[in-house]
Amino acid sequence: MTWPGFSALSAAWLFALLAPLILFYFLKLRRPRVDISSLALWRQVISDQRVNSPFQKFKRNLLLLLQILLLCALTLGAMQPFWPSGADRAQNIPVLIDCSASMGALDQPGGTSRLDAAKAEVTKLVNNLLPNQRLSLIAVDNTARRLTDFTDNQRVLLEALNGLEVRPVPSRMEDGLRMAQALTRMAAVQTVVLITDGNVPKDIDFELPFRLTYQKLPPAGPNLGITDFNARRTKTGWDVFARLDGSAGMQGLVEVELFRDGESLKRESVTVAADEAARLAFQIEVNQAASLELRIRPDGFDSLDIDNRAFLELPAPRPLMVYCPTELSSYRHALQAMKDLDIYPREGDADPAAVDLRFTDQPLNSGPKARVTVHTGVIPEDVQGLVSIEEDLVDVVDWNRTSPLLRHVQLLDVQIGDNPVSQPGVGERDYELAGYEVLAQGTKGPLILEKPSNTGVDYFLLFHTDHSSLPYRVGFPILVANAAQIALERAALSEAKSWPTGTLPPQKVDADAEFTIDEPSGHREAMRSTSDGTLSGVAATDTGRYVIRQGNDTVAALGVSLLAASETQLGTVEKLQFPETSVTTSSELVRTDRPLWGWFAWAGMALLLGEWWYFQRRPGGVAV
Amino acid sequence: MPTAQYTSLLDNATLARVERMRLLPVRRLTNRSRGEHLAGKGGTSTEFHDYRDYAAGDDVRYVDWNIFARIQRPYLKLYRHEEEMHVVILLDASASMQFGQKFTRAKQLAAAFAIMGLMNVEKVSIYACQHAGQTPLLLPPCTGRISLRRVLEFLETIPTGGDFPVELAVEEVLKQHRGRGVAVLLSDFLTFGDLERPLNLLFSAGLEVCAVQLLTPEELRPDVTGDVRFVDSETGRTIDVSSAGELLGIYLDHLTALQADLATMCRQRSGRFLALDAETPIEAILFDVLRRRGWAR
Repeated sequence: MTWPGFSALSAAWLFALLAPLILFYFLKLRRPRVDISSLALWRQVISDQRVNSPFQKFKRNLLLLLQILLLCALTLGAMQPFWPSGADRAQNIPVLIDCSASMGALDQPGGTSRLDAAKAEVTKLVNNLLPNQRLSLIAVDNTARRLTDFTDNQRVLLEALNGLEVRPVPSRMEDGLRMAQALTRMAAVQTVVLITDGNVPKDIDFELPFRLTYQKLPPAGPNLGITDFNARRTKTGWDVFARLDGSAGMQGLVEVELFRDGESLKRESVTVAADEAARLAFQIEVNQAASLELRIRPDGFDSLDIDNRAFLELPAPRPLMVYCPTELSSYRHALQAMKDLDIYPREGDADPAAVDLRFTDQPLNSGPKARVTVHTGVIPEDVQGLVSIEEDLVDVVDWNRTSPLLRHVQLLDVQIGDNPVSQPGVGERDYELAGYEVLAQGTKGPLILEKPSNTGVDYFLLFHTDHSSLPYRVGFPILVANAAQIALERAALSEAKSWPTGTLPPQKVDADAEFTIDEPSGHREAMRSTSDGTLSGVAATDTGRYVIRQGNDTVAALGVSLLAASETQLGTVEKLQFPETSVTTSSELVRTDRPLWGWFAWAGMALLLGEWWYFQRRPGGVAV
Repeated sequence: MPTAQYTSLLDNATLARVERMRLLPVRRLTNRSRGEHLAGKGGTSTEFHDYRDYAAGDDVRYVDWNIFARIQRPYLKLYRHEEEMHVVILLDASASMQFGQKFTRAKQLAAAFAIMGLMNVEKVSIYACQHAGQTPLLLPPCTGRISLRRVLEFLETIPTGGDFPVELAVEEVLKQHRGRGVAVLLSDFLTFGDLERPLNLLFSAGLEVCAVQLLTPEELRPDVTGDVRFVDSETGRTIDVSSAGELLGIYLDHLTALQADLATMCRQRSGRFLALDAETPIEAILFDVLRRRGWAR
C-alpha cells in the first residue's frame, strides 16, 4: 500500500500553531457576562437530555473544531503532500520527445496527431512537477535538439513544447540519448523519459548510463505512403518506378497521379493488398531535365500525409565525360567502343576541369577531378606502409564478383607482373581500417582496392595493367564498361532517384566556392564548398525540390521525399534493445507523483466558508 | 394644582378603585373565632342571609318587625357570620426581584391585596423575605382602614436584594404566622429548590395559596445569542452557555413547564396561580386580569 509523501516536511512546524489556537479559543471564551435573576431555568436547560446529546456537545465546540481542521488543512497543504506514483522522484529529468515523421499520424479522422498526444502527456508532467523537480525537453528525430535547459518554469517548458512540430524525417534515437548523457555533466540525472509512438529502430547503439523510461503512445490509424521513387534512363526517355507501402492491414484503392513540371502527366487507380507493397511503373518520354512529382490519395482514412508525395529530378541527357591519357591506349581503345562518351584529352578541346570518369596511372591529385577514378599501377599514400610491389608473377587468387567494377569480369588465369606483397602481419582488416575494400586478392597481397569518397569512388589497381595480360582478356573491356556504368550512375545520367529527407547527398563542385541552396519552403541557404570541391551537410528536412546554385547557374536539382518505409508502415517496437540491456515499454501512461496540496487548499477554503456561513447565519431560537 | 399622591405605590385613582375591590378566595378558610364576641372582637356582618322561626331566648334585635307587622308571627333575621380571614402577603424581596419592574409590581400588588383585605375587615400581615437565615421583615397583622397608612409605608420602605429562596421564605413565615386564610405569594419563583413542600405547608396551615409569578420580558422571552456567561444575581454563580440562541426553545419549554407545575400544585391545594409580565401596567393587572381570573371583584 502506498502512502502519501511530503515534499516540504519541514512545514509540519505549523502544527505547533494548534496550541495557541486552542489556547486563544478558550481564552476567547471569556464570554460576555450577562447578569440574570436566576440560573434556575438555564441550569435545567443545560442539563436537558437534548443538550447532553453528543451532537450538542459537538456543536458547543464546533468553532474550535472548524478552526483546528482549517489549520490542519493549511499545514498539510504547506507540507506539499503528494501521492507517489511509484516513479522515481528524480530531481532532473530529461524528456526525449519523438518528433519524427510518424508522429504526424492521426489516430482517427480529425483526431489528434501522435505529437499532440505526446505534448499532452508532457504537459501533464510539467503541470505535476514537484517543487524540487526540473525538466529538460529534447526533441528527437533523425538528430536531437535541446529545447530547454533543466528548469521548473512551467511557462518556459510549455512554450517550448507548444513550438514543437513534426519533421518529415525518420527517427534515430542515438543522438537524443547522447544529448541526455551530455546533460548528466550539468546535473544529476537518474531517469530519462522517452515519449514516442514506438516507431523507432529496435536496436540502438548506445550504452545506457541512466534508467530509460520508455513511454509508448496509443497507436495511430492506418497509413499508406510512397517509400521509393526512382527512374532509369531509356533510349527515348525514362522508366519511372515507385513503391507504395502501408501499415499493417492497410488495403484498398489508391489514386496515383504523376506530375511533370507541375502538370498532371498520368493518373491511375491502384489496388493495394494488405501487408503487400505495391510497385508502380510509368514510362515518360522526355529529352530534357524535368521535375517529377508523384501524389497518392488513398480511398479512406490515411493517417499520415507527409508520405503521400514524392519528388524526383530528372537530369538533362548528356554524354559521359571521360578522361583517359593517351598513354593508356588499352583503356582508350575499350572506351572508344562505347557510345555517348566524350573522351578527353582530344584535339581541339581543352581538358575539362572535371569529368565523370578518369583513368590514370599517375599519382593522385593529377588531372581533372572526377567522381569515379580508376588508378592503375598506383599505390595510394595511406596504403604504402602496408604493401610493397615485387617484381614477380602473380595470379589472381580470388575477387569480389559482386563488386560493380568486377561484375562479369573473369580474372582467372590473368598473369600479373607486379606482385603486391603485404607487409608481414598486415591483413585484409588493416586495409579496411584504412578505408579500403579489397576487391581482388593475389597470393601475397591485394591486387585491386576500392575506396569510396563523399562524392565518388576511387579504384586502385595496384599493378599496372600494361604489366599484365588483363588488357588481352575479355574481361578488360567489361571492366572498363563497368567503370563507365559506375560513372554514369554517380553522375545520375543513367538513373535518378528521389533522396530521403535528412541531408542532401554530397555534391562534387568547384572548390572553395560559394553556393546557394533553394529549399522547398522558399528559404535560401548559403554554403561554401570545401577545398577538395565537396558541398555536403546540406540539411533537407522538408520534402520537395532543392536547387543548388553557384551564382545564377544551377549546379544540381534534387527531389527530396520522406521515403522511409519504417515511418510509413508505422510499425512499433515494444522493447528497445541496447548493447547490454533492453528497455520495455511502460504499460502505463507517464507516471508522476500527484501533488495533493491543491486538495488541502480547497478543503481549507471550504472549511472557512462553512465556518463563516454557520456562525453568521441568523440564529434560531424562540420567535419574538 | 396637582393632588398629592397618597402613596408612591399606587396613584390616587387606582387606590380609590382598589378600596372598593374584595378578594374572592376559592375556599373561605376562616379562623374559629366568631362574631359572637361582644367585646368587639370578631366582626358583625350586615349582610342578610336568611329567616328562621323565633325561639325563646333569641336576641330580639334580630327580629324582622316588618314581617311581624304583616303576619303577626316573629321571624329572626339571620346574617352572614363575620368570617375572620387572614390575608398573608409574602413578598419575595431577594435580589432576583430587582430585575425590571418585578419588585415594583410586587409591592403594588401587595399593596392592592392588603387594601382589599383591610377594606374587607380582614387581617392583613405582610412578610418581606430578603436574606436567607434572617427573619423576614414583618408587618404584624392589622385590620381596618386605619391600618392603611401603616401598610403602605411598610411596603414603600422594603429594601430588596438578598438570596432568600422562596421555598425557605415560606417555611420561615409559617414559623411566625398563625391563622387561616389566604396566602398571597408574590415572587418570580425562579428557585433551585422544591416548591411542593412550601405549598404543602401553606395548605396544611389553612392558607389558600394565591401565587403570583412576576417575570420580566427578558425572562419570558430571552434575547441572547452566541456564547455567554450567565451570572446568578443572588448566588453569584455562573454558567457558560454556548450558542445560547439555539437553546431558547428549550428554555421556553422549561419555563412553560415551571408555570404549569406551579399552577397544578396550586390547584391541587385549592389555590390559584397567575403568571404576569412585570411590564404589564398595574391597572390592567388589578382591574382586568384579577377580575377575569376571579381573584377579586
